[in-house]
Amino acid sequence: MANQSGQIYGLTILSPILEGDTLDICHATALRWYLAGIPRDHTSPFAQVSSTHFARLVVMDDVVFVGAPAIEEHLKSRYLVFESNFDGDLDRYLTRMAREIPEFVDSVWQHCVGYPGVADPAAFVAYMKKCQIETTFFFADVNDKTVQQNLKALQVQSAVSHFIERNQGRPAAEIQQAFGVLLERLAKAHPPLPGGIDSEKTAAEDRPHE
Amino acid sequence: MTNINGKAYAMNAITPMKPWKTPFLRAFFFVLGAFPPLQAKLKNLSFIHFARWVIVGRNQFPQVSPQQHRENLHYDYLIFFSNFNGTWNQYIDAFSSVLSSGLDAIWKPSEKFPGSVPVTPFKDYIKQVQFDTDYYYDAYPRAATNDVKAALRVVDAFNDFSRTSQTLSPEEFEKAYLEFLVRVQGDLGSTGVAPVGT
Repeated sequence: MANQSGQIYGLTILSPILEGDTLDICHATALRWYLAGIPRDHTSPFAQVSSTHFARLVVMDDVVFVGAPAIEEHLKSRYLVFESNFDGDLDRYLTRMAREIPEFVDSVWQHCVGYPGVADPAAFVAYMKKCQIETTFFFADVNDKTVQQNLKALQVQSAVSHFIERNQGRPAAEIQQAFGVLLERLAKAHPPLPGGIDSEKTAAEDRPHE
Repeated sequence: MTNINGKAYAMNAITPMKPWKTPFLRAFFFVLGAFPPLQAKLKNLSFIHFARWVIVGRNQFPQVSPQQHRENLHYDYLIFFSNFNGTWNQYIDAFSSVLSSGLDAIWKPSEKFPGSVPVTPFKDYIKQVQFDTDYYYDAYPRAATNDVKAALRVVDAFNDFSRTSQTLSPEEFEKAYLEFLVRVQGDLGSTGVAPVGT
């Protein structure tokens, strides 16, 4: 199925945006204003749905006219495009969205036609599937690792780089002992937070010995 | 800029296609998906985390309520989404110089596509059909695709070495440690904030 590459699912959803305005501004603009204020780091709603590798939300105002002799045409609705790349199963992912980030989902999809709310996750899943467009071709460079596996790998890479740098030229017995400490430290280390932390230093940036 | 989060750029582009051309493009994508070796050039570029092409038929735009007006379109639409590393110019330049034949096969059915070579009209076309991202999330914003792949190789080597490292004599450890260093030396680059693009 083209929606999947390995264990990664490529979800594409087009939700029609409401046209009538209950606000001073239209729904599409209200949605854009809301999205502009949502954090994009580890406090992002998608960091809570921790199987998300990458996700985007886009207000698509219209199709594009590429010039004559092509025919100029326009959409009758604007669409909210939701593009997500995540681990595992679609139903489970959408159910997690409804259960774990309900305020965010409400704030976004309340601007869309036919949105049933998240009180009944099954109704939300059914609504999202109704808006789903099958991905025609999906490319995932790394398609056999979860978000957590990638984050853990980056943590190990950083720690190993730092370890090698710090232990250059030391006697083998000392390096072996220090390596044992590194193993224990990494085994106990919390996995890095998805979404990143702006103020967090990587091991390579923290060089107290220099 | 909302199209960018850390080292990743979210690109969206939409192009119209005459509906009679769509089945040929679907067949092309089917073959591309069924035979992974055909994706080798895309994979070897190694700066695309995830990318997709989605064909939305002229009657396929979702209608979820009778009150919503049904779309009445002449064209099917091809939408392209990419999560890539580097700047827009680097990306389009690389696409044009490395993947021109593949890209031409994909976008040739689109109206007024000028071809991916020469690059100037190709860039003009992409600018015309691209639309901006309003919200972009990246689980590992400090890591490029190559960083992730390198880190996974380091983990494999690290796990192999860890299994025996504490049971070896210091002399055996020294030899095994050197072998470990040789194995990981090309993959030890650190992640961090992205350079400022141009």
